[in-house]
Amino acid sequence: MKTRMKEYRARLGLTQEKLAEMVGVRRETIIFLEKGKYNPSLRLAYGIARALEAGIEDIFILDDDST
Amino acid sequence: MKARWILIVYAAISLLALMLMLSMENLYVVIALVAGILLLGHRELWSLIRHGRMPVIDERVQNNLTGAMRLTGVFFFIASIVLILLLRFNVFKNTPKELIVSGQLVIVGFVYVMGYYYYDRVRPCLGEKAVRWLRICLITAGLCLSTIALAIVLHNLVSVWFGFEDAFFFILGLLVAPAVLALSLLGCLVIYIKGLCASFSTVEQS
Repeated sequence: MKTRMKEYRARLGLTQEKLAEMVGVRRETIIFLEKGKYNPSLRLAYGIARALEAGIEDIFILDDDST
Repeated sequence: MKARWILIVYAAISLLALMLMLSMENLYVVIALVAGILLLGHRELWSLIRHGRMPVIDERVQNNLTGAMRLTGVFFFIASIVLILLLRFNVFKNTPKELIVSGQLVIVGFVYVMGYYYYDRVRPCLGEKAVRWLRICLITAGLCLSTIALAIVLHNLVSVWFGFEDAFFFILGLLVAPAVLALSLLGCLVIYIKGLCASFSTVEQS
């Protein structure tokens, strides 16, 4: 799973800490999500998309290799 | 929430056991229980000391806690069987029983902490090849432990049944299997530390 979280986060001027606080997770979770090393649940993915003011499919991109 | 409740129940049971052991003057077990409580609740304690609040338990932490608890349970089960076998055949003749049980409790605590950090930090930073090697090393270590227990049992049985001192199971159980066990544990440790270091640099870079 690829993500564009970092890009959208930077666009809104949010820090990882702030985003983590907004969606109720740890900063480490945001770090591993941004690195594509953790696949979030649908609930968390929606929460992040909402916090980043974007659609879920804009933030999380499923690459063909991971299917 | 479930993980937090399990921790609270564990702490309550441990405190009761602690009081019981203190009243029975089993100091080794008391020390082991305190170490176990500190190991198991280290995240909560650290967060309370550092930030003055309980740590966030998100879905990733919940998955990690579940994984670590499952791993600890399996380890505790296997370790108990091996220990019972070893005790049954008087391997620890001169060691106080409470010291053995305390040692097991502390090791179980360490396994839990290592398991938690494996799922939390190490696993995401290891490649597929490293994970495969880690699995091989762990399976080898498990097989070696079973071999040690089995070889001790068979060595004793051969002595009883055939009336001579068996050398094969003795060498297998006391030399070969422990050597392979040490090597596989070393392999696990190297891969684990490698993953842990990689995770620290990943977190720091971000």
